[in-house]
Parts: sequence; structure tokens; C-alpha cells
Amino acid sequence: MLEVERIRVSYGAAPAISGVSIRVGAGELVCVVGPNGAGKTTLINAIAGLHSIEAGALRLDGRDLSRLPRHAFCSEGIAIVPEGRRLFSGMSVRENLELGSYRRAARAGRAGSLDRVCEVFPILRERLEQPAGTLSGGQQQMLAIGRALMAQPRLLLLDEPSLGLAPAVVLAVFDVIREINAGGVAVLLVEQNAALALEIAARAYVLEEGRIAAEGRPEALLAQADIRRAYLG
Amino acid sequence: MRARALAGFAAAGLGLSAVPFFGPPAFYESFLYLVFHWIVLAVSWNILSGYSGYFSFGHGAFFGAGMYTTATLATKAGVPFLWTLPLAALVAAVFGIALGAVVFRLPRLRGELFALLTLAVTFVLATIVLNTPIDGGPGLYLSAVPLPAIGPSPSSTFYLLGLALALATLWIAREVQRSRLGTGLFAIHDDEDVAEVLGVPTYRYKLAAFGLSCGLAGVAGGIQAMFISYVTVGETFSIAVPLNVVLMSVLGGSRHWFGPAVGAAAVTALLYAFTAGDYAVAGHAAVGLILIVVILFLPEGIFGELIGALKRRRVPAMPPIDAAGLPAPAAWPGKPEGQALLEARGLCKAFRGVQALAGVDLEVRRGEILGLVGPNGSGKSTLINVVSGHFRPDSGRILFEGRDLARLEAHRIARTGIARTYQIPRPFAHLSVLENVALPAMFGRDAQARADAEREARRWLAFTGLAAKAMSLPGELNLHQRKFLELARALASRPGLLLLDEVFSGLTHAEIDDAIRLIREIRARGATIVFVEHVIRAVMELTDRIVVLSYGRVIAEGDPRAVMREPDVVAAYLGKPRA
Repeated sequence: MLEVERIRVSYGAAPAISGVSIRVGAGELVCVVGPNGAGKTTLINAIAGLHSIEAGALRLDGRDLSRLPRHAFCSEGIAIVPEGRRLFSGMSVRENLELGSYRRAARAGRAGSLDRVCEVFPILRERLEQPAGTLSGGQQQMLAIGRALMAQPRLLLLDEPSLGLAPAVVLAVFDVIREINAGGVAVLLVEQNAALALEIAARAYVLEEGRIAAEGRPEALLAQADIRRAYLG
Repeated sequence: MRARALAGFAAAGLGLSAVPFFGPPAFYESFLYLVFHWIVLAVSWNILSGYSGYFSFGHGAFFGAGMYTTATLATKAGVPFLWTLPLAALVAAVFGIALGAVVFRLPRLRGELFALLTLAVTFVLATIVLNTPIDGGPGLYLSAVPLPAIGPSPSSTFYLLGLALALATLWIAREVQRSRLGTGLFAIHDDEDVAEVLGVPTYRYKLAAFGLSCGLAGVAGGIQAMFISYVTVGETFSIAVPLNVVLMSVLGGSRHWFGPAVGAAAVTALLYAFTAGDYAVAGHAAVGLILIVVILFLPEGIFGELIGALKRRRVPAMPPIDAAGLPAPAAWPGKPEGQALLEARGLCKAFRGVQALAGVDLEVRRGEILGLVGPNGSGKSTLINVVSGHFRPDSGRILFEGRDLARLEAHRIARTGIARTYQIPRPFAHLSVLENVALPAMFGRDAQARADAEREARRWLAFTGLAAKAMSLPGELNLHQRKFLELARALASRPGLLLLDEVFSGLTHAEIDDAIRLIREIRARGATIVFVEHVIRAVMELTDRIVVLSYGRVIAEGDPRAVMREPDVVAAYLGKPRA
């Protein structure tokens, strides 16, 4: 479904990632692990259209995305939970969620999606009318995930969804990711909690210093001692 | 450095003050006077607005206050012209400080509101002057006021006065930029709350900068009153003054003391060159076009871009750093470990009806690592915000070393030896990584001089593995590095109590191992540490005790392993048993 072919993205002179190719099949759950600074956020932002690509190709169902304007990525059915949450902090929780379902295909199902999000994160239902900026850090992370779910995406990009969440909520979030994926949504997950991520992923990539260092099924990757030591301890 | 600059200023002063004695046409002297006049206004405006980011559109009010002070005193009270100038400075400065004393206390008056408010003050002042005996409507004539013969002709006298004031203003702006005041103002520009928490007395600094800025504008107004010799409300308090001043500063570059002078000279010269002839309207349009082009392609201003290009060309070579020579964080000699260092009693804090802290009692013991855990929204970050003075508690007491912090301003709390990090890093975006870390060393408990602070900052950067990034801007760092920048910045003030808000989140397993070693070493140097964390492995490996918060209350505390098994804690926080 998603094909990333030898892409390069740079900040200034130094390339952050180069020659990176990954692939996410329809309905597949793929995760990317790697140390900080390896370029995981850059990769996921490039796929979401938040960074322009210097070289290589980006295709969704065979269609070239690299020439599309940024807002069009959303109508193609790609949703992202970005690093740093990036909420509309002056707007209420409800408005933030409703903006998530801005794309045409998601508008009809808005009420249902809202209910579903509030089921997963009950605290958001209590805070629906409150400005998003007044939520605690972890609650804001929940809202960022909720907003992406509201888009009813075909491809969901998650950049460290567990960041700042209490252990119980992390478990709930991973249950939801698995459930959404089971419903046919393709998921690309960047996550530092490698133990959890590798547990639910069908395939994984290891990104190091801007290049793909390894790929394969989680069991196969974890059989390699160095990967195991770096990411699971 | 300062001696060389002083020599440069003296040479420029002597050279330029010789100009009138060669007998140039009066017209050129008057034109150069105007250049100096605008340099004073733009450079003085920049001291508050450029450095600290508080854009004032009220510079015309303070300029006008000076103008009317001189005009009134010289025409109605018979005060000699030169004697009116210090008074013009005083009236404008007092007026500015009085306004600032009210406005700077209100955090919501940052940004556009401050600009609008200062503009409104200009019109209020104009109305008062127009409808009272100060002016009364017809304007004031100064043609009968005697002008002291400083130069060989009246126009040369104005030239020399303008030159002297311009040099004085530039010197003051330079000294401010290089002083602690300047460092504090640039920090306020990027993040005022963080500056305050790191020990910068933001309120006093803003007032001082505003007073200086207004006083200098007042003197410029006093001289200008005499120069135009007919003072009216309509001309004095027009929107043109603040607009020109803002434009000149932005054009020249507002992050350097000399930038606005470049902008002022350029705009004055352009206006003269293009509008002096027969095609004044076309000239104005051309000037506008040039300005647009410059702003589009030189966003840092003409001078700012020049300085930036020079800096990039010669990156200073950094001598190797010895991390072993790290200073010990503050310790309290003679006081035993295990005693209470910080005590919270009945702390409450609510936000718009949400009770974030509902009566928290808590003790932090000297020398321990205390873990603070709990569900999202249980009040952990709020507790750190209240202890560090970022928020004031609604009620309750915070005793640190026996002293109540609950009503203390944040910068005073920082000086007692408490430092914190932010969950989402909040570096000063326009300061280098090194400057970010040096700032708390300058403003913390030991109030070190800049050179010492930078040396110490480099050691902390080496300690946190950021030495190679010292000259980068925070925007060039990834999330992991920005978190460690937060940590280095908190350490640089040599705090006795360190409050860490989720420094481990987003790290890989191996990176967490490194961070755990770092925290252990910080404790070994004598600091007491409170950390908020969801990475359970780090909590278990590091903490001596943990406190669990839920809905703003302490629901459990004690030995980490025992507490993590309590059913309440498992249900509210963990979701499934751990440890």
C-alpha cells in the first residue's frame, strides 16, 4: 500500500535520512525502531508530507505522493500523531477532535468516531469543553491520538504514541492500535518502547544513522543479539 | 574588548565632531542631525523592544513627553535649553516606568496587546496635552529660546548635540546587550516564564530597559523641539514616529545594538535621496519597495545577516573540556542526609474548575531520589510547577530549608537552589546551546560572571554528552538532545534540589541506561532529586522512595517495590502488576 523508495531528506547540508526504503502492505502493522537521532521522526514526517523529499519516491497504492500539496495527504487517508502533540491549544477538546475528522470521508462518521475515542480515553469525555491547552501532558498525548483516529485513516502514522503516558494508558493505547489495525487500517509505528511495539508489529525496520540497518519479522530481529541488547536490554 | 570599543567610540566622536569646522553647507549638517535623531530613537526603542521582544508602538509618546518638557520649560519657565534636556529624559523615563509598573505585572499583556496598549497611551497623552494648558491647541513656539553656541553655526550645534546623544545611546545599548541585563532581556524574548524560573528577575529587568529606552527618547524629543522650533500635538504624537522606529530596527536587525543604527541611517538616507526631488510620490513607493525586498530576503535585518555570516565563517575552536573538573552541585555542609529538605503542606491548585492539587502533603529528604508517579493528569507536573514558582498555589505551604516558598517569586526560588526541567523542552530558541546552559549559572545561586558561567556550562555540556553541539541553536537538536539540554541547563545553577519532569521518556533501552548513570552521578555529587517518570524501569532502578499521586492527592508512598504492588496503585496507574 505504502511504498517509500530510497528517499533522502536533509536539514541544511547534512542528510537526516538517505536511501531509505520501506513498505507497508494493506492492513499491515509495521514498526520502526532505532536510537534517538537516527531519523525516525524525519521519516514519518516525510511520509505525512510535513517534510519535502529531495530524492526518491513516495507512493500510496501506486500513486505518487511527492508532488502533492501538504493538505492533500490528509484527503488521501493518511493521518499522523506527530512528535510534540501539536494540538490547537486554544480550542476545546471537542473542537480538536472534530477538526481531526475534517476530511470528507470522515465527516459522516464523526459522531461515532467521537464516541469511540471517548471510550478509549474516558478522561477526554470529561474534558470535552475544556481548552486543549489546559490538559496535562499525558492527556494531551491522548487527544493527539484521538484526533488522528477521528480522521478514519487508511494509513495511520504514529510517532511515539506512548510518550508521557502512564503505564495503564500505554497498554490501552496499544490495544487500540491493534484493534484499529485488525479493522483493516495500515499502521506505521515509531516507538521507543520496543518491547511493546515489536509484540504487536507484523514486520519491523531498524533505522540507524539515517539508514535502514535491518528489517524483518520481530522474532527474527530479536534473535540478533546486538538488536536485542540495544532495544530490549 | 571594552577598552578597544571605547577607543573606537572616541575616535568616531572626535572625527565626526570635526566635520562642522570644515564649514560644510548648513543643509548637510541638518540632514546628518536627522540621521542621528533617528539613530537615537531606533536604538533606544531596541533596548526594550528588540532585546526583550516587547514591541512598543508607544515610542512617540515618550519622545513627545520629552519634546513638550523642553518646550514648556524653555518657553514658560525660562529654563535654559540645555538644562531642560536632563529633565526631558527624567519625565519620559518616569512616565515609562510608571506605565511599565502596571503593564509588566499582567502576563496576559504580552505580544500584540502590549503593542496596542502602548499605542493607545500615545493617543491618551496627546489628548491630555492638547486639552490642558501644556499646549491648549495652538502649539508652542521656541523661536525666542536662545540656542547655546556649541558649534560655529546653529545647524552645526544641532549636528553636535545629535552626534553626542547618538554616541551615548549606542554606548548604552552596547553595554546593556553585554551585561546581565541584556542576557536576561534576550532570554525574556524567547521564553519569559522559563527565564523567570531560571533566576532572571524579569519584572525588574523589563522596567529597567523600558526606563532607559524612554529616557533616551525623551532627550531626543527635547533636542528635536528646539530643532523644529514649533511644537504641535498633531506632529509630535503621530503614528509616524513608532512606525519609522520599528521599521528601522527590523530593517537593520533588532538582535544587535548596532542594527537599528544601520536601519535608521539607511531609511533616512533613502527617504532623502528619493523624496527630495520632484518625484516625491514615486520616491516613497520606491522606498517601500526596497524595504519589502530587504525584509523578504534578509529576515534578520541588514546588519543582523552580516554579523550572522561573519560568525558562521569563523566558528571558534573549542579547547577540550575536562568533565572531571565538574563543580559539585550545592551541598549543605554539616547537615545530615535523611532530614526533610522540602516539605509541602496542604498544597492546593485549581485550573478552571479542575482541581489539579487537592491538598498534597509531601516530604523530600536530603540526599534522596524521590520518584513521583501517578496517572496522567494526577498533578505531578503541577506539583513541580508550583514548587518551582511557575504557578502560585491557591493555598498551602512549601517549606524549603525551613523557608516558605509559596509566595516567593520564581526567580527568588531559583536562587534558593531549586532547578527544574520541562516535560516538553523549552530552550531559548535564539540562544546557542552554550548560552542556554550558561544563563542559569549567571542567574542562579552563585550569580557567576559570564566567562565563568560559560566555562561551567561547557563542563555540563560535556557531562550530558552535548559538547559537540555547544555552538548550535536548540532547533538543530533532536528530541533526545533537547531533553539533555534541559538537564544541563537545570544542573548549571548547581541546584541543591533538582526537579526532573520526564527526562527518560522517548529514550531507547540503551539510552535509558546512560541516563540512569547520569542521574546517579548527579546524586553522588550531593544533589537531592525529585523525578516524575512513567518509565517504570528507571523509577525502580533509581528511586529510594516513591510517592503516588491520583486526582491531586497522595494515595501511596514508601519503598518502590512495596508501593508498586499495592492494589490501588496497580488499578489507578499500572494497569497490570509490575516489578
